[in-house]
Amino acid sequence: MANSFLRRALVPVGLVAALALAACSTTGSTSPAATGSAPGASGAAAAPTGPLTVWVMGDTTAHFDALVKPFTQQTGIQVKTVAIPWDSVDQKFTTAVASGDGPDVLQVGLSKLRTYADTGALLPLDDATLAPYSHLASANFLDGVAGKATAVGGKVVSVPWISDTRVLFYRSDILSAAGISSPPATWDELRTDAKKLAARGPGQYGYYIPQWDSPLPVEMTWDFGGDIVGPDGAVNFDTPAFRKAVDLYTGLYADKSVPTNSDFDQTQGFVSGVAPMLVSGPYLAAAIKDAAPDLAGKWSVAQLPKGTTNTSLLAGSNMAVWAKTAHKAAALTLLDFLSQPATQVTWFGLNGDLPTVKAALADPTLTSDPLVSVYAAQLANAKIVPLVPNWDGATGKALLDALNSIALTGKDKEAALTSLFAATKGQSTN
Amino acid sequence: MRSRATPYLLVGPATVLLLAFGVLPILVAAVVSLTNLDAAGLGDLSRVSGVGLANYAELFGDAAFWQAMRNTAFYVAVGVPSVVLVSLGIALLLNRSQGRFFRVLRSFYFLPAITGIVAIALVWGYLYNTQFGLLNYVLSLVGLGPVPWLSSPSLVKVSVALVAIWRGTGLNTIIFLAALQGVPKEYLEAAALDGASRLRTTWSVVLPLLRFAITFVTVTTVIAWLQFFDEAFVLTKGGPLGSSTSISLFLFQQGFAGARFGYASAGSVVLFVVIAAVTLLQLRARRADVEY
Amino acid sequence: MSSTDTLATPRAVVRPATRSHGRRARRPWVAGIVLTLGAVLTAFPFAWMIVSAVKPRSDSLAYPPHLLPSHVTVQYFTQLLRQLDFGRYLVNTLAVVLISMVGLLLMAMAGYGFAKFSFRGKEPLFFLVLTTMMIPVQVTMIPTYLILNGIGLTNTLVGIALPTLVSAFGVFLFRQFMATIPTEVLEAARIDGAGEARIFARIVLPMSRPILAVQVVLTFITGWNSFLWPLVIASDQGLYTLSVGIALLNQQVATNPSLQMAAAAVMVVPVLVVFVVFQRNIVQGFALSGLK
Repeated sequence: MANSFLRRALVPVGLVAALALAACSTTGSTSPAATGSAPGASGAAAAPTGPLTVWVMGDTTAHFDALVKPFTQQTGIQVKTVAIPWDSVDQKFTTAVASGDGPDVLQVGLSKLRTYADTGALLPLDDATLAPYSHLASANFLDGVAGKATAVGGKVVSVPWISDTRVLFYRSDILSAAGISSPPATWDELRTDAKKLAARGPGQYGYYIPQWDSPLPVEMTWDFGGDIVGPDGAVNFDTPAFRKAVDLYTGLYADKSVPTNSDFDQTQGFVSGVAPMLVSGPYLAAAIKDAAPDLAGKWSVAQLPKGTTNTSLLAGSNMAVWAKTAHKAAALTLLDFLSQPATQVTWFGLNGDLPTVKAALADPTLTSDPLVSVYAAQLANAKIVPLVPNWDGATGKALLDALNSIALTGKDKEAALTSLFAATKGQSTN
Repeated sequence: MRSRATPYLLVGPATVLLLAFGVLPILVAAVVSLTNLDAAGLGDLSRVSGVGLANYAELFGDAAFWQAMRNTAFYVAVGVPSVVLVSLGIALLLNRSQGRFFRVLRSFYFLPAITGIVAIALVWGYLYNTQFGLLNYVLSLVGLGPVPWLSSPSLVKVSVALVAIWRGTGLNTIIFLAALQGVPKEYLEAAALDGASRLRTTWSVVLPLLRFAITFVTVTTVIAWLQFFDEAFVLTKGGPLGSSTSISLFLFQQGFAGARFGYASAGSVVLFVVIAAVTLLQLRARRADVEY
Repeated sequence: MSSTDTLATPRAVVRPATRSHGRRARRPWVAGIVLTLGAVLTAFPFAWMIVSAVKPRSDSLAYPPHLLPSHVTVQYFTQLLRQLDFGRYLVNTLAVVLISMVGLLLMAMAGYGFAKFSFRGKEPLFFLVLTTMMIPVQVTMIPTYLILNGIGLTNTLVGIALPTLVSAFGVFLFRQFMATIPTEVLEAARIDGAGEARIFARIVLPMSRPILAVQVVLTFITGWNSFLWPLVIASDQGLYTLSVGIALLNQQVATNPSLQMAAAAVMVVPVLVVFVVFQRNIVQGFALSGLK
């Protein structure tokens, strides 16, 4: 009886397996161009053809598909979107480079741009290549990311897509209760205000410094009139402006105005009032609105406090073309479409990402939102983190390790800075 | 009629697959570890050059590598005995009765082992949160201050290991349970007739009979914990300041985030050698008892 | 299920401990209480996960923590199925699991070959098989991808299932079990003129039902939770599995815990069902594999 049971079990299992095998070989490769196996075979016609495979980050492709529907209707180019999880984008990209099979167009987070560009897998987009596409002219984009600002080794390999920045979030109700009528306009004021707010009681703080936020000390350095790369493109932290930033960063800890645990949740901290001021991006505003709608009117955003200036971070993603794509013209046409002000405004409506096109940022849909107008104003005075190799793993990590060791474990400042200089020697944007 | 080819046909397919997807990659890694393969080289192989043992030299001089080694040693030293003892203890208790209630309890203990790590990380990250987590909330109700479960460099390894122990006991409990069910009842009854207490029976009769299961579980658990990755990656990403980074996580960060494939391959080879050496040592120590 | 009982009788018949001596009748209660407490602690994170899946987002962030939802909502489950394509991911995951079952057969064959035949190269080959357990998986990623790319299996379900189709653990387990199959039975069949394939299908496999049950569950769990290969090998999102789908929910910043918990709950429930259904077979399977 056992025999026949097993036999009976094996047969359907085998059948299903066979069916699955058959199914996968027909559905798995719907478009040969998607696997890049026919270079040049279909892309040589005068009118650009698809289909295009596009890699985007996000939990669903529905929004992007909706965005490019008019594009397909106008040009007849089919677009196939693939969503990639943020945490795994390196693995996807690396295996694609290793095999040569990639998408046609891909979203590239600015923190990854240098690494990806170094592989040579991205198509260089020089002026001649971009000339026929009016919307891709660098003057259309925010200064911080336009044209050569995102060049690697002198070559431009991507065009701006969406932007992100950092602004000051504050709980207006808590601040006024503590006698602070308006958000701090300078970093010194912020430090004083934070101390006052932390004095509200045990377990209360004035400000929050995310221990993983490597751009924050860079923003502080910019605000004190300096930079972390020299004119030759080499990383150099041994400057007066950076030292001022270190004093500010570690001083906030010394004042006991900020929480010292690495797993502090900024959304909950802000909503509960434990950390009534913090520097963060538009994603936090969305999270607060979603999680605590009854907090409306009790919080707002303002531009970053000043040192001599209040330059903030310009982050976000660009779009790049795969160097070995078979559909170069179609890809560039898509990029042109994505850079139209109307498209950028639509995307903001669909997904909440800020545009990089100046005309889109000035659109009434955006400026009518008080929060967005602050973001837009800040974006006009924002820079990208220098495009050195592996910011997150090397320079950025060394920076955080140095600062956190001073602030959290009491390491001697000069010793920590000396090891920082040694660890980052030789890093450069070239 | 038994042909000479039969055994090869039987073991062939599985062995080929294992060789192709297991042995071959480690050989490739060994070769790559002697080069300076990085992101640029991956795209254009002509930019790759041999560097001899330079990667290994750099690796052994890297403080972060040694920190990861020490952390991994901690994980193995704390995690493996905990998993083995807890699984064994639970199995012994579960074996007291074959009734339905006890069988239902078995399923509960297996739950952590079958869940995806992402969900586990979310729940535990929430439980451990310093300000807003459930554990510290409960502690606050009895007047104890908040514990920095995941942000204290000394405590974080324990917290992360705890999650892994919670997760790792499921399968091993089942293995021990099964081994216990194979203990002939006559032995237990004979010991009882001799007047031995239950505890003594367990210690002197049952445990020696479980020797193979204990060895099997210990060896496989050591191998798994030497490759400790999931919990550290999702809970703390190796922080704070690298105090919970394991070797596998270190390699992952170097290899993928940093795109330093030659360097990461050298680390992988070192890890493989360590695992193989430790396993061989364990098996040698047990050779007298185990028959292959 | 009668053949299982037949196989069980050579081993001791297990009697519930409560039956024998009055002195021992109390003991299972203590064990039961301890185990129940342990089970509650073990399962608590799960309970939290399920409850969070039906909580509105504002509840998840509330402090002090709300144990129960202010109102129950299934919006996240609907969101998963309607907007986030989880139905498709589910189908893909099932397909991967089914293909993995082919690996079961290959592992059984290999286990049988190593257990019951002697042939040239057996010892070194088996050793090589075992060493594949010690290879860190990150190291295998790129070479494996290149192999699959070379044979044209990228972006297919078979390609996704192939790297984990067989495991050394499984081969080892089958070998242990099949070593206990009496050789006389096989020899008798050979003398009767049965071919090797027939012996395998008609005698060996049926006698291995318990260990097959174990492997079915283990294969199901591995296939169900598969993340790395579906992510890397699928260039078409239509081939993503549930684990990849959950990872997509992990936005770069500011996640929605309720949605992620709902996804996690979707992933856990089927595995739990499979485990509960096969539970009795699993424990017997391990017992009969000679793990004592």
